Amino acid sequence: MSTVAAPGLSVDLAPNNPHELRLRNPIIAASGCFGYGEEYAGVIDIERLGAFVSKGITPARRAGNPMPRIVESPAGMLNAIGLQNPGIHGFVKKYPPIWAKWTVPAIVNISAESVNDYAVMAAILDEQPAIAGIEVNVSCPNVAHGGYCFGWDPEMSAEVTRAVRSATTLPIIVKLSPGAPDIASVAEAVEEAGADAISLINTLVGMAIDVRRRRPLLANHTGGVSGPAIKPIAVRMVYQVAAAVRVPIIGMGGIMSLNDALEFFLAGATAIQIGTGIFVDPGLPIRLIDELARWLVEEGFSSLDQIVGIANDGFQLGQRPALADWESVGV
Amino acid sequence: MPSLTADRARSGQKDFSLAPVTLSLETTGASREFVSQVLSVEPIMGDAVLLTVTAPSGVLSQLRPGQFFNIVTRFAGSFDPLLRRPYSVYRAHRDPPALTFLVRPFGRGSAWLAERLPGERLGMLGPLGNSFTIPSRAQRLLMLGGGVGVAPLVMLSDEAAAKNLDVVFVMGAATESGLLAPSELSERVEYAVATDDGSRGHRGLATELIGDFVQWADHIYACGPEPMYRTLRTVAEPLRIDRKPGVKISVERGMACGLGACLGCVVETTRGMIASCVEGPVFDLDDIIL
Repeated sequence: MSTVAAPGLSVDLAPNNPHELRLRNPIIAASGCFGYGEEYAGVIDIERLGAFVSKGITPARRAGNPMPRIVESPAGMLNAIGLQNPGIHGFVKKYPPIWAKWTVPAIVNISAESVNDYAVMAAILDEQPAIAGIEVNVSCPNVAHGGYCFGWDPEMSAEVTRAVRSATTLPIIVKLSPGAPDIASVAEAVEEAGADAISLINTLVGMAIDVRRRRPLLANHTGGVSGPAIKPIAVRMVYQVAAAVRVPIIGMGGIMSLNDALEFFLAGATAIQIGTGIFVDPGLPIRLIDELARWLVEEGFSSLDQIVGIANDGFQLGQRPALADWESVGV
Repeated sequence: MPSLTADRARSGQKDFSLAPVTLSLETTGASREFVSQVLSVEPIMGDAVLLTVTAPSGVLSQLRPGQFFNIVTRFAGSFDPLLRRPYSVYRAHRDPPALTFLVRPFGRGSAWLAERLPGERLGMLGPLGNSFTIPSRAQRLLMLGGGVGVAPLVMLSDEAAAKNLDVVFVMGAATESGLLAPSELSERVEYAVATDDGSRGHRGLATELIGDFVQWADHIYACGPEPMYRTLRTVAEPLRIDRKPGVKISVERGMACGLGACLGCVVETTRGMIASCVEGPVFDLDDIIL
C-alpha cells in the first residue's frame, strides 16, 4: 500500500529578499476585497490563507467617493470606492497590533499621487511589526505629471519602485495596471528597479449608464471593472509578463474556480489573488487550497511549481539563479 | 390613544408542509454561509411573494429584527447577475427552523428569486447587519412602512406583540393591492394604511397619518423609500423634544461583500461614511445625512 504525500503548495514570493515572503499556499485575498482581515476573521479560517492584502492605504485619511460606489456589470462589477481608508497613521495605530496575533502573512497595499509619498509610507511601514510585505498600487494618478497614471508608464512605475526600494527592506510587490499600453515593459522596468514580485491585473476602467435617469450610474462616473468578465485580459497579461520577467508573478482577475486559478498558474503565476470572487463566494479561497492539492495529486504532480508557466513558451521564472548562487553573492 | 380605523380580519397560521422536500442544510466552509431549500412561495401585496426557506437553528437563535441575508440570485454555473441581493427577514420560524423574505420582482435578481419553487436551493450569507432594538422601558412603538420596506417591521412587530407592547403600524403603498393584509400582523397591532390613489385607507402619504402618534410613541421605527425618511424628519421634528422619541430607520443599499470589507454600501452620517452592512442598515434618523 502506498500513500501519496500531500503536494507541496508553499511558495516564496520574494526569493531575492533576505526577509523572504514564504506562503504556506498560493491563495491570497486581494486588496479592497478583504478589508483589513478582521472583517472576514469570523467568517472564514483566515489562518489557512496563503496571505491577504489589506485595503489600499494613502498618506492622508480619505472619506472616499459619494454613493453609488458599486454597480453590477455583465459577469462582474464596477467599483469607485475612492480609497476610503484611515490614512497611513490611522492604519499603523490600529492594524499591526491586530495582525500580530495571527500567523497568516499580512501585506499592506499603498497608493499615492507622488513618488515621495510612496517612499514616506514605505519608510513608516518598514518600522512596523506584523507586516509581511508591501504591495505598491501604481494605478494612481501622478499629480506631478498631469495626473497620468504611474502604472501606464515604465519609467514612472520604476521611479516609484526605486523610491519604495530605498525606503524599506520589506518584500515589495508592484501591482500593475492593465491600462498600460505595454504591460511587459512596465513589468521589466519595475523588476529592474527592485520589485521582489509583481502582481496583476488591477481593475480595468469602465462605466455604466442609468438609462432611466440618463446619467452615469456611479457617482464618480467611471469605476474599476472586476470579476469573471476581465479574466481573459488578466490571463493574457500574466502570460506576457511571465515571458518578460524573472521575479515571481501573482495573477488575479475574475478567479471563481479551480479551473480559473489553474489558467493563471499555467500562464506563469506563482500565486493568485481572489478579489470579487470572495464577495460572491466567501468559502472560495479556502476551498481552492484543498481543490488545488487534490488536482495536483490526481494529475501526478508532487508540487505546485511543477505546473507554473508550463503553458507559456516564453516563461522566465525558471531562469533565475538557483538559491546556491545567491548564497555565493552574499545575500 | 387616538383611535384608528383598522381592519381586524385574521386568518390562522400558515402551513408550510408543502411538496415532499427533505430539509437539508449544507455548509459551505464559511460560517454564516449556508445553503437553504425553498419551502414555500406565496403571493402577497400584488406582484410580490413571501419566500420561505430552511435555515440552521443556530442562525435563528442569533437573529434580530432588521437583520438581512445576502442571497445568491442566479443559477449555479452562471455569472449573472453576479452579486448577492440583500433581503431583510420578514418573519423567523422556530419549528422547523425557517426564514421568510418579502420579494417584489423589480430587477433581474429579485425577478429570479420570486420565480423559485419549493425544493430549489439558495446560497445564503447571514445574518448580516445590525438590528432594530426596543429600549427596555419602551411601551409604545410607532412603525412606519413604505412598500416592501415593511418587511423588517413585520418581524419587529411580532417581537413587540410577544412582549405585550402597544404597536401602531402605519403603511403606505401606491394602491390597495400593494398593502399588507391585516392578517399578516399580530392582533395586538393597531394597523392603519394610506394609498396614493385612495383605493384603501387614507388618500395620500403614510407620513400624513403619523402626526398624532409621534408624541404618543416611546420609539419610532421606519423602513421605506428614502423620500419617506425626509418627510418623516419634517413631520416628526416639531413634535420631538430632545431627540425623543428616538427614530430608527433602515436603509437599502446594493451590496458586494456584506461584511464591511469593500465599503461599497456606505451611508453618509455625522460620523462619516459608514458601511450599512455592519453598523447598519439600521441608523438613527438624527445621524444620517439625507
